Amino acid sequence: METKEFHYRAYRPRPFTKEERSKTTILFGGLTWKHERLIQGSLERMGYKSMPLPNIERQDLDIGKEFIDVGACCPTTFTAGNLARTLMTLREREGEEGVKNNYLFVTIGACGPCRFGQYHESYERVLEGLNLTDFRLFLLDLMQMEQSAPGGGLEISMPLTFGLVYSMFYADLITDMEYAIRPYEVVEGSTDRVVKESIELLYEKLKNRPIKGKKIDSLVWHVFTGYFVDALKEVRRLWDEIEVDRLRVKPKVKITGEFWLQTHEGDGNYNIKRWLEKEGAEVIPPPVAVWMDYLINMELFKLEDAKGFVKKYYLKKLAIGTIAGLYKMVYNRLRKALNNIPNPLPDQRKLKELARPYFHYRLTGGEGHMLIGKALYAYLNRQAHMICELSPYGCLPNTMSVGAMAKVLGDYPDLLYAPIEIKGDAEVHAYSRCQMILTEAKRRAKEEFEEVLERTGLTVEDIRNFEEDHPELRRATYKVPHYGYAGTASNYAMHIAKLMGRI
Amino acid sequence: MNFLTSLTLLKKRPLKSQGDRRSIKVGIPKFLNIWGTHQFWVGFFQSLGVGRIVFSSDTSEEQYREYGKGRITMDSCFPVKALAGHMGELLHKDINLLFVPMIYSLPSFLKGHVVDTLSCTRVMMSVENIKAGFLRERKEFEERGIAFVSPFVPFAEPELLPKYLWESLKEHIPGLTLEETARAVKEGFRALEDFERKMREKSLEIIRWCVKNNRPAILVLARPYHMDPGIGHDIDGEFQQYGFPVLWYNYLPLDAWLLEWLFGEEIRAGIIRSYFDISDVWTSSYSSNTNEIIWGAKFSARFPWITGVIRLSSYECGMDQPTFTPVQKIVESSGTLFFKFGELDETKPAGSVKIRVETIVYYLEKYSQDIIKKKLSRLGAVPSQLLV
Repeated sequence: METKEFHYRAYRPRPFTKEERSKTTILFGGLTWKHERLIQGSLERMGYKSMPLPNIERQDLDIGKEFIDVGACCPTTFTAGNLARTLMTLREREGEEGVKNNYLFVTIGACGPCRFGQYHESYERVLEGLNLTDFRLFLLDLMQMEQSAPGGGLEISMPLTFGLVYSMFYADLITDMEYAIRPYEVVEGSTDRVVKESIELLYEKLKNRPIKGKKIDSLVWHVFTGYFVDALKEVRRLWDEIEVDRLRVKPKVKITGEFWLQTHEGDGNYNIKRWLEKEGAEVIPPPVAVWMDYLINMELFKLEDAKGFVKKYYLKKLAIGTIAGLYKMVYNRLRKALNNIPNPLPDQRKLKELARPYFHYRLTGGEGHMLIGKALYAYLNRQAHMICELSPYGCLPNTMSVGAMAKVLGDYPDLLYAPIEIKGDAEVHAYSRCQMILTEAKRRAKEEFEEVLERTGLTVEDIRNFEEDHPELRRATYKVPHYGYAGTASNYAMHIAKLMGRI
Repeated sequence: MNFLTSLTLLKKRPLKSQGDRRSIKVGIPKFLNIWGTHQFWVGFFQSLGVGRIVFSSDTSEEQYREYGKGRITMDSCFPVKALAGHMGELLHKDINLLFVPMIYSLPSFLKGHVVDTLSCTRVMMSVENIKAGFLRERKEFEERGIAFVSPFVPFAEPELLPKYLWESLKEHIPGLTLEETARAVKEGFRALEDFERKMREKSLEIIRWCVKNNRPAILVLARPYHMDPGIGHDIDGEFQQYGFPVLWYNYLPLDAWLLEWLFGEEIRAGIIRSYFDISDVWTSSYSSNTNEIIWGAKFSARFPWITGVIRLSSYECGMDQPTFTPVQKIVESSGTLFFKFGELDETKPAGSVKIRVETIVYYLEKYSQDIIKKKLSRLGAVPSQLLV
């Protein structure tokens, strides 16, 4: 019988010193290429070398399974496999010492009870499996504005945190633009080209942004400066050039689900957003900013529950309420710079109230009550024809809220809801499930548009003729108000009718 | 619905019309975290003066088949799905209040030494999930004259616990005040503490017997609900038939003299801050059950007369998954034998369990004395309190 060292010890990374900063590359991943490119700009501005992990590929699932304990959800397996593939490539290129000394990996932990807070345990299995336990892997807390990793080489300061927040906002807003416009672009590929140009422009802006102050003065500058809004105004000019045809009748599909899976664009979720577009849908992507807004507001809701037991309750409520308010204010300022084409953040209190009969808001972990709240919010406010909820196989919280949706569907039988379980290696199954609901959503979008034409007495030809006299209507950045219809074409027809004085 | 059931339903009246609390019959499904907190609920409801507390039976295939199937709205681990069977069974019993708490955080002896003591997300959310299966087509509780109450229960926030319980129960228990609920919560904690103290004393008694007779014991690392024969399949009982005393990690003795013997040196060396610190082996200490499993693994690695650890885990357990390697390594790093029964599900694989148990017993019998000696050689003199 073999007896190993008496005590097992948890993984502890070697320190990362300030002196190493200039020659060590920070690896990170987990978001879209747009978010990651902008995060890179923010990190570089603070003097860090950085490199996003390559985009997730199907092979990462198989690689991940080789290294981590059985039973992991697909986001854990994909991301662990992605890290393993990257480290193996780097080791081949730069040798074992090169990987250990020239690179480190940073990941975030949050959620507490959900496995998301324990992803790093799986990453540590990767390091063990690759015999790279000397490689440095740092876990940062998502909710900390300021923190540092052992050794002081990696310092999350106020300016860096705000750079990261703006990176996230920018990428979310550009993603919203992308999905709102691509299905209607007249010249195929023009949206993708402008997305790339926008991200590169914003990357440069983040990389060269001024650093003003270190603490509260930094906060004030980042909240009130016009620097970030001005950058988006430049971006808007790129989007102005895209011509769109909003008379294409398409079902609107709102994506919800587990954080990583819903945000991801690639093999990790069968590229389902692109697939939906190819199938004729307009997709409403989920911004990362909503989740951050949820986390902030949950602090407020918890505080309100504890009223009577908390010292300085009103002061604390004011403080958290101010943070929540400023967060939304900044997001809305940025949206405005893009003529409000990106969607606003939903009212978290409203989501909580909508979900309450079905899911208690304090059941946290993953997206908690938000999935039910968002589905109902989109349905009741006619924001989408259909909800596509992406749920990882084996996800702890997601399976529970999907189950609770059964009662929601009992109460709202018209709500089109497609919960798609993603295993990573069964895309045909996922597509066919989604396709079934999408077919009904297409029918509804068509009926809705026909209803608008009947209500307004307009024909498609009338609208085309009006467009000829008003070419600005075919600009991607032209804002069409919401007239209570889910479909873009329906709202557009209503808008034309209003401009023509018919309603 | 058969004739007898119809009679039972006719006897039920809405609670609001009853002034006497003695007429309240509370049904509590014996599921998930009730396994670690049931004595709290007994103490709590007795303090409120309710007439009767009725627990559902142990989980079984029959219970799930008869009362649960058709009510599952989403596939998940069996311990969660089994709740449908427990709730369904209680609907056929003489109760008028079905109490299914959403236990968000747990009382834990590790509190203050870990980041948090939260429940598994599925466990805490299971009630909302399973409830939907009973309500999606009709109002099943209402039709049966049963009030359904599912309060949010944060054991780790004792100041808020009475508030949440009172808010959910005030409509159903006549004259209930917040102050009275707070007193009942205290009674509940007292009952739970009494029970746990007795269980730990019993574990100490077993340990002393092992020391006195130089006999090995087995420690079970699982979740509390694996004590349910329908979830844990009585695997621990199989070992008892071979004469091995079986201890559960959540009722290990916590006497300072014992923990000083096992962990004192590591505190002085600055490796850990207290007997209950697990940060040396586990950094994401959010989940209460996980934390206690990890601590139990540390205890087993140090205590000489625990020579074998049995890990039980249900199929698709996402909370256990990241712990598989660390727990095994903690246990095995001291030479203690480690055996895992993973992917436990609805069906009891009796034959394969027996074969595995026989194999494990062979190893335990062959190596236990060596393991005891080796582990003893790493510790100081055996405390006199163990030799009583």
